[in-house]
Amino acid sequence: MTGPTIGTHRTNPVQLSAIFGAFFRLGIVSFGGGTAGWLYREIVGRRHWISDTEFLSGAALGRLMPGSGGVNLTVQVGQHLRGGSGALAAVLGLLSGPLAIILALAAGYARIEQSVMLRAVLDGVAAAAIGLTFATGLKLVRFRLASAGPLAVTAATVFSVGVLRWPMMPVVLCLAPVSIGLALLDR
Amino acid sequence: MPDDFRTLLALTLVFAPLSLLSIGGGASLLAEIEHQSVGVHAWTTEREFADLFAISRAAPGPGTMLSTLIGWKVAGVAGALTATIALYLPSSLLVYAAARLWGRWRGSVWHSAVERGLAPIAAGLILAGGIAVLRVSPGGPAVWLAATVATAVILW
Repeated sequence: MTGPTIGTHRTNPVQLSAIFGAFFRLGIVSFGGGTAGWLYREIVGRRHWISDTEFLSGAALGRLMPGSGGVNLTVQVGQHLRGGSGALAAVLGLLSGPLAIILALAAGYARIEQSVMLRAVLDGVAAAAIGLTFATGLKLVRFRLASAGPLAVTAATVFSVGVLRWPMMPVVLCLAPVSIGLALLDR
Repeated sequence: MPDDFRTLLALTLVFAPLSLLSIGGGASLLAEIEHQSVGVHAWTTEREFADLFAISRAAPGPGTMLSTLIGWKVAGVAGALTATIALYLPSSLLVYAAARLWGRWRGSVWHSAVERGLAPIAAGLILAGGIAVLRVSPGGPAVWLAATVATAVILW
């Protein structure tokens, strides 16, 4: 089950500066939240550092553990690529840009409050981020489309958490054993 | 100087425990951060808190930059760094330990089954997250329409 990405990074490890750079870029473009969607585009789509399945299991674990899902996913990708120093480089890269930007915004916040124009821009940016989130989710569902079981699990997750707004934790704890069982049977 | 130190310590003591309590993402923390900042420590007024929250949503990055702004308001750049580290370090260390442990079993049958089993759930959670953000977004139908168009354009 060793994917091509795993083999590649073992023989030719990704540079720490490359990890920092990729996540820095990711941090400053990920307006409107939805870090997972931006991360998928940059790390999986553009650089092929991890596989779709690794991305998804990391995203799931990242959301189940305490902390920000996006930061948690970043820690896992960094750890996967270069261990402790990789995780540190990834998180510093992700957070340093937004930290600087938010302090600059805060320094001038009286003006931001009054700007209708800026608010409209931010709404547009938020809409794009939501679109990216949906597109990422749909793309990853299509990747699993081959069998009905996983598709039903995805549909149940969207319906219970997204539409009915049930709390995520119990939903995942009920669905995970079923889904893992399906994966075991489907080998 | 001891006063500065005491402020930074107070920021750490508020945000570090929240780091480990924030299951389900930063949004679940909002009420508690508001209670601590406005009620308990009087770091901000209610009005300032609302402003800082609005700013935190305008910046890029992974959501919970609100703590950074509160740290900045109370103790400048040192406060901003302290609050950010306090909020992200404990949870990141926990995830790091889990990822290391998990990586050790890479290649085993059940490692692959768990990864493949979690994948459809994660895809569902990403879509559900999009729905949740759409629901609270202040822009109304215009944002819904723009988000739909953006989804279609990105998928094509």
